[in-house]
Amino acid sequence: MKKLIVFMLTLTMALSLAACGNSAGSGEKDDSASDTASESDIAYVKEKGTLVVGITDFAPMDYKDGNDEWIGFDADMAKAFAESIGVDVEFVEIDWDNKIMELDGKTIDCVWNGMTLTDEVTSAMECSNAYCNNAQVVVVPSDVADKYQDVDSLSDLTFAVEAGSAGEKEISALDLEYTAVKAQADALMEVAAGTSDAAVIDSLMAAAMVGDGTGYEDLTYTCGLNSEEYGVGFRKGSDFAEELNKFFKESYADGSMEECAEKYGVQAAIIEQ
Amino acid sequence: MAILEVEHICKSFNRTEVLKDISFSLEKGQAVSIIGSSGSGKTTLLRCLNFLETPDKGIIRVGGETLFDAADPATKAESAIRKKRLHFGLVFQSFNLFPQYTALENVMLARELLAKEQADYKTKKKEIQEEIQELAKTLLSQMGLENRMHSYPHQLSGGQCQRVAIARALALRPDILCFDEPTSALDPELTGEVLRVIKELADKNTTMVIVTHEMAFARDVANHVIFMDDGAIIEQGSPTQVFESPAEERTRQFLSRYTQG
Amino acid sequence: MEQILEQMPIVIEALNVGFLQTLKLFFVTLVGAFPLGLIIAFGSMSHFRPLSYFCKFLVWIIRGTPLMIQLLIIYYFPGLVLHNPIWGGGESGRFLAASFSFILNYACYFSEIYRGGIQGVPIGQEEAGLVLGMTKSQIFFKVTLLQMIKRIVPPMSNEIITLVKDTSLARIIALQEIIWAGQAFMKGSHGISGAIWPLFFTAVYYLIFNGILTLLLGRLEKKLDYFR
Repeated sequence: MKKLIVFMLTLTMALSLAACGNSAGSGEKDDSASDTASESDIAYVKEKGTLVVGITDFAPMDYKDGNDEWIGFDADMAKAFAESIGVDVEFVEIDWDNKIMELDGKTIDCVWNGMTLTDEVTSAMECSNAYCNNAQVVVVPSDVADKYQDVDSLSDLTFAVEAGSAGEKEISALDLEYTAVKAQADALMEVAAGTSDAAVIDSLMAAAMVGDGTGYEDLTYTCGLNSEEYGVGFRKGSDFAEELNKFFKESYADGSMEECAEKYGVQAAIIEQ
Repeated sequence: MAILEVEHICKSFNRTEVLKDISFSLEKGQAVSIIGSSGSGKTTLLRCLNFLETPDKGIIRVGGETLFDAADPATKAESAIRKKRLHFGLVFQSFNLFPQYTALENVMLARELLAKEQADYKTKKKEIQEEIQELAKTLLSQMGLENRMHSYPHQLSGGQCQRVAIARALALRPDILCFDEPTSALDPELTGEVLRVIKELADKNTTMVIVTHEMAFARDVANHVIFMDDGAIIEQGSPTQVFESPAEERTRQFLSRYTQG
Repeated sequence: MEQILEQMPIVIEALNVGFLQTLKLFFVTLVGAFPLGLIIAFGSMSHFRPLSYFCKFLVWIIRGTPLMIQLLIIYYFPGLVLHNPIWGGGESGRFLAASFSFILNYACYFSEIYRGGIQGVPIGQEEAGLVLGMTKSQIFFKVTLLQMIKRIVPPMSNEIITLVKDTSLARIIALQEIIWAGQAFMKGSHGISGAIWPLFFTAVYYLIFNGILTLLLGRLEKKLDYFR
């Protein structure tokens, strides 16, 4: 009996230790990270010699060309930025759900992947200025698209949205019925398979992925729910955000940002720096 | 001089005394039968002789050499015990043949492993192998198993298995061969063939310690009979003496139960 | 249909790359977990109490929690809490962390199977070896081992086949195994987007590989059928 009690106590301690660890990872992150980051995150990365960029396969921002090389508006800008501070760049595909954990755990140094600047994102990361406009749009089968051209007409639909995305926020704000799925692509599959009536995804993605000549020819997008902006996320307290803002200003001023955007067809969306 | 001398062996498991001051001796070429009811300590005694159990007190001597003395820690060293075991052979109640080997391989295995420890094994490998195989075949033939040498244990009857086990024990040429109720796990019609080969061994003056419930056999095969009860030797003597005119009341009671039953 | 045929070579190539990662994780796990499991099994049967308690505690923790959580903790804990990202962020770091987690997890399951196998061999086998003058190691290698293997092959086969499918869990730390590769075509990769069939097609890879494994393990079981 005594042994059992000792055993249970040890276990409880071990678990609470782990729990403390976790809260340190998120809650107390501010000071612990700023300890290191205020000493300069840039210095840390320069010492490593490589800026590790967390991304997902997300055309036209980050995707692979025929030679297995990461390209896209975000990828190209990230390469240019790394060059400007004199370090190599490494792109690492991550699970989007774990992006904050990846940052804080230093397995990546930034999230640069068409990330919408929501309250959740800005409170957990040190974010750059917005550099690109986006909107959340409703995707429905083409044959019924006429019926759903404005927000008021959506009330009888069931939605599929990416868990934790800006789209989920909009839909729950409208008090509509929805299923949270793992990725925006999964949301599209739900509509294509008929298991959900509609999906809400990024307009940039919708432009690339639905309609004629895409994998989802029978789908189309109708009304926009909001407008929002993309930014780049660093560890909380990092001095990188400031550095990147300077870089954005320069490259907007000398036209290199626009040139890059034109290459991937997103020039209309970029924001003046 | 006696080949086996056992003096004042005591053994307890937890607080139960299983062997109480056991002493007996055995002449070379003779057989002793140990009889007694279940739980009287017969099997534990055999296991002590084979060093499967360590006695708490007492001395075991073979051919005048002290193999075990509870008072002398030097005789308990694990490394030494292995060689000492080779003075004894043990035939188990449940055969304990190695199922993955044929009858022939079962008989050869231990000898082969011992041979590998010889200094000249590598140079004379082939001769030694052949010698061991020859011996094993001879032993199995003696057991009447010349046709079953390449059978696996599960293909043999219980009586055949036990005869393989006897051959396996003999292959190491032990000074003393011990039997632990060799026919208790057998169907009644199969006991005869096993008892017959043990009798043949006795006729060839093999030194043996036999624990058995077969009273007629115990009397027939042995030069000496020991009756045990409750961990102690109650009575011992020649078969005629113990079976026909037992001195102790407990021996009489035991024998009458068996001869009637 | 025509479109699928057109896309097939690109998809197959990407799936092959993912499946290679799956296979790598599978074999590395087996190679690591087979011996580690035996060590844990002997540890938990040890007469040295602290060691046996430690091993049993470890097995309880690992078998009592989902592998997915173990992957997350093992990969992110060092960086998040200890501020020392020992695994690194790249593909190789993720593979290393995944291998570590899988080896630890499967070693614990294997250790219980080994323990059952060892304890299932009758004590009389060891005693017979002892009275024939064999050493402990001779008894283990010449007598007990094969009987133990015969006992553990069926439960081991189950675990091995489960392992093939469990490797897909590694994508929680973004290890790009075959399901990740299949899913990539849904959101767009290699110029193909919104294609669902590659994901379902990954099942064919699992089926074929598990079919081969089942055949091989069945053959091994049959090989040990000559004794009982």
